[in-house]
Amino acid sequence: MEEQLEPNEMIVHLGPQHPMQPGPFRLNLRLKGETVMDADIELGFIHKGIEKILENKTYLQGITIVDRICYLVALVNEECFVGCTEKLLGIKPPERSQYIRVILDELTRIQSHLLGMGEFGEFIGFVSMFMYAIREREEVLGLIDMVTGARVTHSYLKFGGVRDDLPDGFKEKALSVFNNLKKSVDDFEEMFHTDRIFRERTVGVGVLTADAAKNLGVSGPVLRATGVPFDIRKNEPYLVYKDLDFKVCTETAGDCFARVQVRINEIRESIYILEQCLDQIPGGPLFPEGTMYGRRTPVMRVPAGEVFHRVEDPRGEMGMYMISDGSDKPYRVKIRGPYYPTLQALPPLIIGTTVADVAAISGSMDGCTSEADR
Amino acid sequence: MDVAEILKSLTDAFPEAISEATAESEIRAGSYVDKDKVKKVCQYLKDSLQFDHLCSVCGVDYIKRNELEVVYHIASYNHPVVLTLKARLPRENPEIESIVSVYWNANWYERETYELFGILFENHPNLKSLVLPEDMLGEWPLRKDYEGFPNKTARNLV
Repeated sequence: MEEQLEPNEMIVHLGPQHPMQPGPFRLNLRLKGETVMDADIELGFIHKGIEKILENKTYLQGITIVDRICYLVALVNEECFVGCTEKLLGIKPPERSQYIRVILDELTRIQSHLLGMGEFGEFIGFVSMFMYAIREREEVLGLIDMVTGARVTHSYLKFGGVRDDLPDGFKEKALSVFNNLKKSVDDFEEMFHTDRIFRERTVGVGVLTADAAKNLGVSGPVLRATGVPFDIRKNEPYLVYKDLDFKVCTETAGDCFARVQVRINEIRESIYILEQCLDQIPGGPLFPEGTMYGRRTPVMRVPAGEVFHRVEDPRGEMGMYMISDGSDKPYRVKIRGPYYPTLQALPPLIIGTTVADVAAISGSMDGCTSEADR
Repeated sequence: MDVAEILKSLTDAFPEAISEATAESEIRAGSYVDKDKVKKVCQYLKDSLQFDHLCSVCGVDYIKRNELEVVYHIASYNHPVVLTLKARLPRENPEIESIVSVYWNANWYERETYELFGILFENHPNLKSLVLPEDMLGEWPLRKDYEGFPNKTARNLV
């Protein structure tokens, strides 16, 4: 980048440690005055080698490792890994376990979107937003804690089911949390819609059209904000999502404001899904009856084969490609995280904007560098 | 569009390049592709069969067969079918065409596959390491015969 430097131009490194970033990555900007002429990203500051680690751990140990891909959405990562293994094993969890998993996935989506909104507010100088959002998120984390016994890394899912049943009084507690959450989300929406500074910082900033978004390969709220109704829960239903009633939230503007609006609507939609789940959840066992799943077994061997399984992460499409050679450890696991293509699409989006908008655009992507690096 | 239709259209268009085309389920299909024709096949998939979304590109090391495989997962924003295209490469000097000109977001996936497996992507616009430090280039850590970075892993320190 240095070689092409013209007079009056300079290079600014944002990161690897910078308050505006969701994790360490380096953004090199070539600036002319305030305008970004060129941008490029360096990754790898928290590369953990999870794909290699998984090859050397048994499947059961793998559940603990995939939690660490991104601690914010640990349960969705687990769902993807366990779903892959279950497809290879040819088993299906009983309906009660599937409902519990949907409940946890949706709670994860709510808390991730709340943190994403809060961080976004912080990046553009609206620091109180972070405080408001983190307060509500703590209540949701309390619900997850009630079920799994942990706030961020859970190791809760097991092959063929889940580790524990829902605790007593979960439904009442959850419904009271949702009542408060609905009010807060309405407040947030009103705040975003009426705050003049917030609107000026976000409306029309970082506009992505539907064709461009498809071409860049993004997914999740960033894509849905451009008007493409792409959601793995609808396109390729897993667990019991096909029995549940929900809509795919889309906006048409494709700017930073639309992305935040999609997240707000998705929180409401997730609460609606959760209410249905709490009403409909059937009784019954947590693991398939008459099998060894759920009991302590010394070694679990998985039949040889390969599978590609996709789930809807709060940030988009999460996929894993797993190859088994018939032993007790996976032969190869490829993790396809949703933020990886989204982060890759950041440089083309910020070229031509000003430095102040870089924080707004990058923040509206709701990133997690830990997952992009793996 | 269903799986059988897609596979038929693909094998009719490229009778020599596509082999072992199988439908695994209603929404999953797989096939092997000749390594010289990858780009043309991807272009056809994108233009004619609505496969406009590249899920991932990854490498797999089959050390017993002395082969590397590059695996492309190609999906669509319109239909739920995911096509798994695989290309076989030798373990010595593996080279394959880059598909960045077809799918823009293949850029990082190919860079990552290059640094982890040593698979060279021809005509890639910017083939350098992405997640690993530059001095680890040439180690190819995700190959099965990798034994730790010389003098830099914990095992070698003890």
